Amino acid sequence: MSIAIIDYGMGNVRSMMNALEFCGEEVVITDDLREMEKADRLVLPGVGAFGDAMKAIRAKGLQDPLTEFALADHKPILGVCLGMQLFAKHSMEHGGDEGLGWLDAEIMPLKVEAPAKVPHVGWNGVHFAEEDWLFDGIPAGQTDYYFVHSFHMVCTDETDRIATCNHGGTVTAAVRRGNLVATQFHPEKSQDNGIQLLQNWVGHEF
Amino acid sequence: MLKKRIIPKFLVRGGRLVKARRFFDDVREAGNPVSTAKVYDSYGVDEMIFVDVDATPENRLIDGSIIERVSEEVFMPFTVGGGISDLKQIENLLACGADKVSINSAAVADPEFVTQAASRFGDQCIVVSIDYREMEDGTRRVASRCGNNLTNIDPDEFALRMQDAHAGEILLTSIDRDGMMSGYDVDLVAQLADRLDIPLIASSGAGSLKHVHDVLDAGASAVTISSMFIFSDHSPIKVRTYLASNGVHVRSQLGSRS
Repeated sequence: MSIAIIDYGMGNVRSMMNALEFCGEEVVITDDLREMEKADRLVLPGVGAFGDAMKAIRAKGLQDPLTEFALADHKPILGVCLGMQLFAKHSMEHGGDEGLGWLDAEIMPLKVEAPAKVPHVGWNGVHFAEEDWLFDGIPAGQTDYYFVHSFHMVCTDETDRIATCNHGGTVTAAVRRGNLVATQFHPEKSQDNGIQLLQNWVGHEF
Repeated sequence: MLKKRIIPKFLVRGGRLVKARRFFDDVREAGNPVSTAKVYDSYGVDEMIFVDVDATPENRLIDGSIIERVSEEVFMPFTVGGGISDLKQIENLLACGADKVSINSAAVADPEFVTQAASRFGDQCIVVSIDYREMEDGTRRVASRCGNNLTNIDPDEFALRMQDAHAGEILLTSIDRDGMMSGYDVDLVAQLADRLDIPLIASSGAGSLKHVHDVLDAGASAVTISSMFIFSDHSPIKVRTYLASNGVHVRSQLGSRS
């Protein structure tokens, strides 16, 4: 299977490539639409500020074509961290920006009770439905994934949210709607649990 | 719930890992960065930190090729520091595979740089590393440029300023405890963890399992351990088992197959 990691200048794309290659897939990092069109699947990574990311995506002329891949072609797309947040309609970060709008969701600042800290940095246990294919093979009681973020996704349609964690309140850990899958945590940085999740995504027929 | 993190901190000098006392005394060779990273990955440590100790004094940046090689071998988060003073350098290190960067001397020289870096790469990407000395009169003073530039700044106040400047985490290192294995500066960690809203990583002083427990219990979100891993028989697995049996929330997952 060929996977294109979308390079819009925000994010640790090399780590994602290394992890997917470890899973045995053919991976390119690209900002070229033809490469994305050719690929079986896309990964939208991202680290940094929401507004800057949307600006970069628009500057590269990627917003409308990506939306066509996502909503018209139903190409499987995996969003990670900020990449997941970009799936939302809108973010409150830095005064507010419009997102890609693929999910009916809003990105809100994490508000936590002390002694929980923000950013939410580190390994946190993720809660998901037992039979969920994305988490197939993750042992009970050892569901930690690596998070690093200050904002999080609030879904209007609760059924989009397939995993949560607790950090001074409930935090959305993963979402899915049809061909669109996204995680707030970093599977490419979550050692065995992360590799297992990527293999589950790669192995799932959409 | 969020786990307390155990983080080996590696000092890099000329492409090799080294370990000293109080930064400069008794420098010992501690191995190859890439193979050492793989070993610690297999122990299931929570993150790693690499700092090039000569970078700032020699006015250069850590060698990105080491970072690239580590990121090819281990699928876990790591922070890279040493000589970072402009945004382009951060971009390059992130492109090599680093997840976070630690900024030390440049934050002391120009706190605004921290704000610029955070607004460009996100607060969560910017770890401000604060080195300080414990003075004979009981006060503490920040020392930048690898300990060579002793300031009159109080580390407590500086950490709060760095939080306001949008640092994502504070890495707090007592130079006088570095490599001494005599315990962390628990008093300062307790006081600061209480005042900070961002995570505090306590560094330098680990010599026993109890030292690690006590500083996490005092409120640190994470600890770095270096000499204790290299020069004693306390492995990350032993540390984690001890902490778990003493009521500290740590990851239960062992090892990595990557």
